[in-house]
Amino acid sequence: MLYALMGLGLSLITGILNIPNFAHGALFAVGAYLLVSAVNAIGNFWIGLLVAPLGVALLGLAIEYAGIRRLYAAGHDYQLLFTFGLSLILAEGIILIWGPVGISQLPPPLLRGGVDLGFTFYPKYRLFVMVVAGLLVLLTWLFLEKTRYGAIMRAGIENKEMVSLLGIDIQRLFTVAFALGAYLAGIAGALTAPIRGLSPGMGVDMLGIAFVVVALGGLGNLLGAIAAGLIIGVAQALVAAYWTEASTVVIFAVMAAVLLVRPQGLFGIR
Amino acid sequence: MRDLLKHPVFLLAAAVILLPLAVRPAIASEIWIFAMFGLGLNLILGYTGLLSFGQSTFFGSAAYVAGWLLKHYGINVVFALGIGAGVGALSAAVVGYLCVQRSGLYFIMLTFALNQMFYFIAYQWTTVTGGEDGMPGVPRPALFGIDFKDPLTYYAFVSLLFLVSLWVMKRIVESPLGKILQAIRENEVRAQAVGYNAARFKLLAFVIGGAFSGVAGVLYAMLFGIVPLEAIGFVTSGNVVFATLIGGSGSLYGPVIGSFVFIWLSESVSTLWARWPLLLGVAFVIVVLFLRGGVVEAWTRFWTWRSSKQKA
Amino acid sequence: MKQIKRRDILILGALGAAGLGFPAIIRAQSKEIVILGLWDQTGAFADVGPLNDRGMKMALEERGMQILGRPIKYITRDGGTQAGTSTRRAEEAIDGEGARFMIGPWSSGVALAVSEVAKRKKVLHFFSGGTEDISGARCHRYSFQWAASPYTAAKTVVDNFMKANPKAKRWHLLVADYAFGWSLEKYVKEVGKNHGLEFVGADRHPLGEREFSNYVQKAAANRPDAVAMINFGGDAVAGAREIFNFGLTPKIPLIMCWSSGVEELIQLTPEIRENLWVGSNFYYTADTPVAKEFVKNYRAKFGTAPGYAPSAAYSMTRLMLAGFDKAKSAEVQDVIKALEGIEVNDLLGRMRVDPATHQTLRPYFFLRCKGKAQMKDPLDLADVIATGDTPLPKEYAACKDIGSF
Repeated sequence: MLYALMGLGLSLITGILNIPNFAHGALFAVGAYLLVSAVNAIGNFWIGLLVAPLGVALLGLAIEYAGIRRLYAAGHDYQLLFTFGLSLILAEGIILIWGPVGISQLPPPLLRGGVDLGFTFYPKYRLFVMVVAGLLVLLTWLFLEKTRYGAIMRAGIENKEMVSLLGIDIQRLFTVAFALGAYLAGIAGALTAPIRGLSPGMGVDMLGIAFVVVALGGLGNLLGAIAAGLIIGVAQALVAAYWTEASTVVIFAVMAAVLLVRPQGLFGIR
Repeated sequence: MRDLLKHPVFLLAAAVILLPLAVRPAIASEIWIFAMFGLGLNLILGYTGLLSFGQSTFFGSAAYVAGWLLKHYGINVVFALGIGAGVGALSAAVVGYLCVQRSGLYFIMLTFALNQMFYFIAYQWTTVTGGEDGMPGVPRPALFGIDFKDPLTYYAFVSLLFLVSLWVMKRIVESPLGKILQAIRENEVRAQAVGYNAARFKLLAFVIGGAFSGVAGVLYAMLFGIVPLEAIGFVTSGNVVFATLIGGSGSLYGPVIGSFVFIWLSESVSTLWARWPLLLGVAFVIVVLFLRGGVVEAWTRFWTWRSSKQKA
Repeated sequence: MKQIKRRDILILGALGAAGLGFPAIIRAQSKEIVILGLWDQTGAFADVGPLNDRGMKMALEERGMQILGRPIKYITRDGGTQAGTSTRRAEEAIDGEGARFMIGPWSSGVALAVSEVAKRKKVLHFFSGGTEDISGARCHRYSFQWAASPYTAAKTVVDNFMKANPKAKRWHLLVADYAFGWSLEKYVKEVGKNHGLEFVGADRHPLGEREFSNYVQKAAANRPDAVAMINFGGDAVAGAREIFNFGLTPKIPLIMCWSSGVEELIQLTPEIRENLWVGSNFYYTADTPVAKEFVKNYRAKFGTAPGYAPSAAYSMTRLMLAGFDKAKSAEVQDVIKALEGIEVNDLLGRMRVDPATHQTLRPYFFLRCKGKAQMKDPLDLADVIATGDTPLPKEYAACKDIGSF
């Protein structure tokens, strides 16, 4: 489910802005760390969970404003270099602010411990994450499908010129899209924090998986990204139960296999 | 004498001879190895216009395979280099085949994702690759009676191979193949219309670039006596892209300059501040926002500005 | 175009000659003894490096930064917790700074790679790590191991745990998928046989794992009397937390067979530490004169009790310096020969270096963690309830020949 969140956010950014956002993983990490600081400062996990992703969205806004918007015409290599450089700055910044040590963050007292599902014990917090992430995905999808602005965003993925010809401020669209993508990454990170623990490099692995999800779902296809995220998550869990070592490799192998057969991804249209 | 100075080959030869006086031979070797790696990338990036963000796949795979054979089967150096080129080319063919059908953003993401796949395979296959700890114990066998254990001797070997690879790359880019690749970069549709199978040529560029990267990988493994996991990681991929861009992807020598700048930066700064990747990231950002053409462009802009000042 | 080429080359030349700056010539400082501390400032063990540095510096400063009447030059290098970077930095320090003695790095896998450099460059190398290879299959004349043999650890942990919990016969093992994990697992099972233990399950997890829910579910399904973890650092912390989240502890005891001590325990809450039994290479309440003095000085200087990391660095440095004293020489080979068979009463108590394997034979500590009510201060996490120093039996020793110089 988390993979779907990350994939959705990245798909939004790559689809609308047509930029390889190599900082997406770093945004994920920042979300997690902001959660820890928020919880330490405010003392309440729930408020922290609300606040942290907003912080990341703000960061996304700043990044878009200060840098990305200058690079729309620049060509992918420079966009890549920029976001890659950004990811380095963010990761090192995390180390400077929070230290290089791994931190741990406990779930809120309400969600500690496990639930006896009969056939197995399952941690309460993980159930919570599944539900919340699922809700978020649903909400985002509803926003994109059912609201007018969402429709504009989807149109923007399809055909930017047409949208701007229709008199819609394409720059604002881009900014919102980036901020929204950043928000999704941030909340994915914040939700993950109590599960995996934090470390400055936590964004890197997530980045690769996010790219796989987007590629698998088809570039620019938001629903595809969601579906791909779920598929990948399930595949990984299944493999992990039998052949733990291969569980991460499987993600990429699935992507490679699908792309051999269908180069445009499972649901891609381009 | 002035004419001689204009000739890049002479200057390169001079650089090759003078470098070990300024830095340790090991670092000097690393510079040429990285430059060779960059040459391979630049065929794909600068000349064909494809941003391959997974070059370390070929570099690392070749290093692992050749390293394994050197360590356990005691093959000789020539064979190892051949294996390196072969593995590099083969892995590039596989990756290239999957990727060239896509373009733009898709292409970049795919090269990255496939790079990650190879990385995780290397990470998990600890019995062969050593996983996180790398594959230590890669020997540096003698060739034709010359003992390479001495860093300076090895440096001579490496720099010679580099000059050869540079010459080869020069011939490639000046050949019809090079022109076709550039045509594809400029306007793929038109090139296709004129009858060139763009996908096949892109794949060819990949394979050749992969071969260069592979040879560089083997030399790297022999230089440090170890194949570290990072050799196949995305940071290495990013580094070579950065080095090439900062040197200027528009020229044959761009990757060479970029390699100098990059290795110098990383070696000197990293011993001073542990957080040096931050500076690297800032450097990336600055280069992208202000110095697109890399060092070469910055330099020419500086000279143009200066000469215009002089005129005024 | 020609103009640009010339400028390129000018840049090349300028950079090449002026900027690149490490002198290729070793500065001839014949009086100084250069000692290298390979302590990570970046990467997975970035938090440990500075701690190691503290311990090593303290040991050197105790001697006034000199030995045998000659000044000591202490240099550090960041290996980045990576084999590639560490070996390169080590070589650079050896070639460029004239380092002849190295201590570190912290990661045992990386240390094995560095020890190859030591062998190739003929410099003395001391490190502390969970691998038994360096005193086993990959032993050679130039490297020494400080950490206890996994066998010693297993014996100390299992014997003493069973003394306190004679009825806990069904064990589930959670093992890091790493050479050190496999060794320790092997010995725990060996020693366990003598106690009639039944190993109802054993799972391996990759190093750096943080997602333990699957493993814990499997453990719970086996209904063990005790869960033993064979891992360390972040893995151990994450595992302990997950085991607690699932409700396994504190009902059944959790054993951390090889722990860093304070550094890991402090990351857990008192609730998680309930019914937690820990085996460690060092704990700061160790009852030896050297330890007491060290802890006192460390507390005064840094405001907190020392964990395993600085203590290991401190002890290794002291042991190495004892080698200098005994050899009355600063030549690498003389110090090595002096270390072989040396016996000191130092930080851990009675410590000896086995000449055949270069393994340090010394006590291993077994602790029981305290519940919240028994903690007298925030760092009063556990009590040392036993130590053990049974060395690895000869039939298991994989080091058949330590080799020559």
